Amino acid sequence: MIPMLFAVLTITFFLSHSMSINPLQSMMTGWDINIYFDEMERLGLNEPIYVQFVYYLRDFFTGNWGESYSGPFQGWSVNDIITTVLPRTLELMIIPIIITPIIAVKLGTTSAKNRMKRKDILIRSVAVVGAGFPSFWIAILLQFLFGRILYEATFYEFDIEIYNSNSVILNPSFPDMIPTPSNIFFVVFFLFLMIGGFYLIYRGNKLRKREEPSTRNYLLLFISGILICFIAIVPIMNHINTYGTKFRLLDSIIFNDPIYFWDTIAHLLLPSISMTFLSLAGITRLTRSSMLEVLDQDYIRTARAKGVPEKEIINKHALRNALIPTSNLIIGGVASALLGSLFIELVYGYSGYGNTFFFAIMNGNIPLINGCVMVATIILLSSNLLADVMYTIIDPRIIYT
Amino acid sequence: MKINFKIKHRRIFLIKLEEETTINTKNKDKPGILSLIKFYLIPGWRVPEFSEQEYEIEKTRSKRRFFRHLLTPLTIVGSLIILSFVFMGVFTSWLTRYPLQTIVPPSIPGVPYELPNLLHPLGTTNNGYDVLARILWGTQTSLLMAVIPTGIAVGGGLVLGIISAYFGGKVDYIFMRAVDLIYSIPTLVIVLILTQIFGLNMMDILIIYGSFAIAGNLRFMRSLVLQIREMLYVKAAKTGGALKFKVMFSHIFPNALPPMILTFFGQMAITMLGIAAIAFLGLTTSQIPNWGQDIAWGNIYEDNFFAFLIPGLCTAFFAIAAMLIGDGLRDAIDPRLKI
Repeated sequence: MIPMLFAVLTITFFLSHSMSINPLQSMMTGWDINIYFDEMERLGLNEPIYVQFVYYLRDFFTGNWGESYSGPFQGWSVNDIITTVLPRTLELMIIPIIITPIIAVKLGTTSAKNRMKRKDILIRSVAVVGAGFPSFWIAILLQFLFGRILYEATFYEFDIEIYNSNSVILNPSFPDMIPTPSNIFFVVFFLFLMIGGFYLIYRGNKLRKREEPSTRNYLLLFISGILICFIAIVPIMNHINTYGTKFRLLDSIIFNDPIYFWDTIAHLLLPSISMTFLSLAGITRLTRSSMLEVLDQDYIRTARAKGVPEKEIINKHALRNALIPTSNLIIGGVASALLGSLFIELVYGYSGYGNTFFFAIMNGNIPLINGCVMVATIILLSSNLLADVMYTIIDPRIIYT
Repeated sequence: MKINFKIKHRRIFLIKLEEETTINTKNKDKPGILSLIKFYLIPGWRVPEFSEQEYEIEKTRSKRRFFRHLLTPLTIVGSLIILSFVFMGVFTSWLTRYPLQTIVPPSIPGVPYELPNLLHPLGTTNNGYDVLARILWGTQTSLLMAVIPTGIAVGGGLVLGIISAYFGGKVDYIFMRAVDLIYSIPTLVIVLILTQIFGLNMMDILIIYGSFAIAGNLRFMRSLVLQIREMLYVKAAKTGGALKFKVMFSHIFPNALPPMILTFFGQMAITMLGIAAIAFLGLTTSQIPNWGQDIAWGNIYEDNFFAFLIPGLCTAFFAIAAMLIGDGLRDAIDPRLKI
């Protein structure tokens, strides 16, 4: 995982530096040529590329990911941009990620239960149509329906007041986050302890099945929990009290701003509805096919012969086995939603992660591109790891060597 | 009624075959005493000609069974849609009165976003280009945009997957690490960055997109070949002293082909949508009309609604038709396969 990260880092660095756009293109208007050369010197773009790469590596691992050259966030550091922009996209993704698997698995099981009946044909046709239509096209149609047709059909009564919560400038009550080394250290330490704790719980469960319960693991867990409480939580709470969490829904609750809260929700509705369209169809189809295969198995017939009620057969005996191939798609959907959100953010003008990323590529904003690719890669790799761990929990027969 | 009809046909078919066999035997010789002795003494012995013909009958019967499974209404609908799109693409210049030069950027032929009239049956888009003409001319490029990357992805996956799985060891390790690397990079983003390096050439974008999609096919093919490698006929070929490439491409390849053909149609739908999305972002040349670009140019807030609606519907119908054919083929060949 770590060598992969390093390989991606080098590849994106050299690719982004070989782009055929002048990175200072949009800053250059009305400049003296000497100022331009000074700026190139300051940003270190005059040096040979391998020297720049070494400097970039040094800065990357010490927590300074560079400075944005152009665009709405001109002059901000990349850390700041990602910490302001990524939470917005996560807010957009959190509703589809939770709702989509629930709806899709339910639809898949119902269509598998009454196979080749009217209900099944309806669900299958909806799934095929949902998978076939391009997501941005559906997003534009939804926007047109609610923004124009409903507005005109209700004689200009259907209108939601907007307070520019999608704009680049945040609510002035939240000052900018200043990432200090200590904060980053504590966050990383906290995450490390969390992962260790989960691993210990998992090991404990495994050991408990085979041997006697080992008290040592629980003791370690207890000590790590106390450490988390004393070391990590107090600074994090202090940090949230002063700077906010950057999740706008949480922030508006913490700082008591109801107008801002309802405004963000109104802005999140349509994008999240069109995000659910993205992954709904695929999960439904896969659940249906794996459910059909499971329902033909012998143990289902045995359960029916035993007299287990039909609802219990579907929910207990069949669904758990049918979800094994589906779980991969559900967890992989997190990463694909992050990239699929690019088109939806562009259509709705939602200034989130994908929007920033796209305009960074178009303007040749090198440090921002590298930072965004690294964040996406970290999310992709960690979701793959999570999928591997989830496999062993869902299906205990799988053992990794 | 149906069953009777089938049985009748089969009877006629068998009777014809019997007649042919009798004629052949009459012309040559009657079965001699030696063959009779063989027939009585050796258990399971048959006249070689008869067993050959039986084999052929079984072959045709299995082919018929395959087509009977394949010809469901949904697959027929899908193949009809794709055939009509191919017809539109081939006979474009007969179907429209507008040549290609009048519907690409340097020319500005008329009023933009005009409503449908006699000259323009579906109205006009940006710069007054005819919508129907742009869709018909875009059919050629859009079909190629779906087929070329998928062909590269599936073909590359077939060849590299066999090599990686059959040789194993270091070769396999290198291929698998490369696949892991491609899986860990977001593909769309790398395509966007590479368009900034190579320019907006259409063929470059297609090749880049296809070569990134090789990774998934390579993994799938590798898993198939690892199963087939342990079969008896492969071991027999090895002990017979066949060359490595002979074993790979004449023994393993034909047996791993059908599942890969299934993935072709499913991936064609995905690439169609993906390339349409890249064209929607404005990263393809404006000199080549295609449906994704039509969606981007057909502004929904203008008067002419068809300029936005029709290209999206065309994209969706093509993708749905490809998916339907893929599903039908999967049900016919191997219903247990999950793609």
